[in-house]
Amino acid sequence: MNAPVAPKSARVDGRRQRSERTRQAIMDAYIALLRERPQIPTAAQIAVRAGVSTRSIFERFDDLQTLSLATVDYAFAIGESQVVARNVDGDRQTRLRSHVETRARTCEQWLPLWRVVVNNASRLDELDVRIRIVREVVSRRIELMYAPELGSVDADKRRDLLVALEILTDFESWGRMREVNGLSFEEACRVWVDTIDRLLPATPRDGHGS
Amino acid sequence: MPPASADSRPLARQCHPILKTIALSETIASRPARIDGRRLRSERTKQLIIEAFLALVRDNPTNPMPTAAQIAERAGYSVRSIFERFPDLGKLRVAAADYSLAQAAALAPPRQVDGDRQARIRSQVETRAGTCERGVALWRVLLATAEEEEELRPRIRIARERTVERLEVMYRPELSTLPERDRKHMLIALEAILDHESWAPMREIHGLSFEEGCAVWIHAIDRMLPPTPAA
Repeated sequence: MNAPVAPKSARVDGRRQRSERTRQAIMDAYIALLRERPQIPTAAQIAVRAGVSTRSIFERFDDLQTLSLATVDYAFAIGESQVVARNVDGDRQTRLRSHVETRARTCEQWLPLWRVVVNNASRLDELDVRIRIVREVVSRRIELMYAPELGSVDADKRRDLLVALEILTDFESWGRMREVNGLSFEEACRVWVDTIDRLLPATPRDGHGS
Repeated sequence: MPPASADSRPLARQCHPILKTIALSETIASRPARIDGRRLRSERTKQLIIEAFLALVRDNPTNPMPTAAQIAERAGYSVRSIFERFPDLGKLRVAAADYSLAQAAALAPPRQVDGDRQARIRSQVETRAGTCERGVALWRVLLATAEEEEELRPRIRIARERTVERLEVMYRPELSTLPERDRKHMLIALEAILDHESWAPMREIHGLSFEEGCAVWIHAIDRMLPPTPAA
C-alpha cells in the first residue's frame, strides 16, 4: 500500500511556509550583518549567514535592491510591533520616561539599519519614502505622548516644538550620545528626558500633570 | 638642470664663464620665485579641484561620490591633474574635509559673545545654520565614508569638538550655573539639536525656510538653557 499522500493544498502551504521562513532568515541575516558593519552586505555574505545558497536569495528577491527594500519594510514592521504606546494617560514624568525608553530601545536596535537607509536614500527614491514614513510615525508618537502640553500652545509654536522634539530624539542623536559621548543607555535616556521636560510647556491642570 | 635644448638663455650667457656664473646667480636668485609661482599654481589647481568636488556634492546629493571625470570636468582640468595631486578619491575627500573645516572657521567666527541672552542665541544659531547649510552635503559624504576612510574620523571628531567649544563660549553664563554632570548633558543635548543631521530634516523633510529653521533652533535653545545669571 502506498503511504498516505497529503492533500495538494497542504503540500503547497508547507512549501510556502518553508519559503517564507527562508525569506525571513535571509532578511534576519541581512540585519545581523548590518549590526556588525554598517554597509550593505554582499549576497554571498548574506547567504553564508542565513545558511542558504546565493541562488536561494535571488529566487526570492530580484536583486539586492529589492532585498534591501524588503528588509527595511520587514524591520519597520518588527519595530512597529515593539513600540506600543504605553502610559499615554500617565502624568508628565511617567509619559516622558515611557516615551523616551521606548524610543531609545528602537534607536538602540535599529540605528545600524537606519544609517544604511539614510546613506543610500539619495540613490533610491523608495528609501527616501520610507525615511519620511518613519519620521512621520515618530512625530505622531510625540504628538500622542505629549498631547496635553502640545495642545496648550498655538499652531506655529506647536509645529516648532514638534520639529525640535523630533530632531532631538532622532536615531543619530541617540548614536552620538552612545558612541561619541560614551553615555550608558540610562544616562542617554536621562539626557532626553531632561531635555524634553525643558522643551515642553507646562502641563495644563487637566492634562495629567505630575 | 634642464636639458640644453630647453635652455632659452642667450647663447653668450650659456658660453662665457663669467656670464655663466651670473646666469647661475640669476637662476639661484629667481628659483624661489619660479618655484613659488609653480607651487602657487599647483595649490590653486588643488583648491579648484576640491571646490569642484564640493560643488558637485552640493548640487547633486544623489551622487555623493562624484567620479574623477566629473570632478575634472567641473574644475576644468584633466583627470590626470587630479591624480597628480591626490593619490585617490579618498584622499581628495580628506582634503575637502580639511578645506571645509578651515572655511567654516574662517566664515563663522564667534560674534556677540558678550551680548545679552537673545543676541547670543540668535548669533550662534544663525552662524551654525549657515555652516550646516553650506556643509551638510559634505558632512553626509564624510559620515557615509568614514568607515572605509580612517583619516576622516579624526576630522569628524574635530568638527564636533569645535561645535561644542563654540557652544561653551556662547552660552558660558548659563552653562556656568549648572553642576558638571548637568552641564555635560546640556552640551550633549544642545549639540544634538544643532547637528547637521538636525538641520537637514528641518529643511528637506519639514520644508522649513532658512529663517524658520533658525526660529525652531532659537526657541528650543532658549527653553533648554537655564536662566541667565544676573551680571
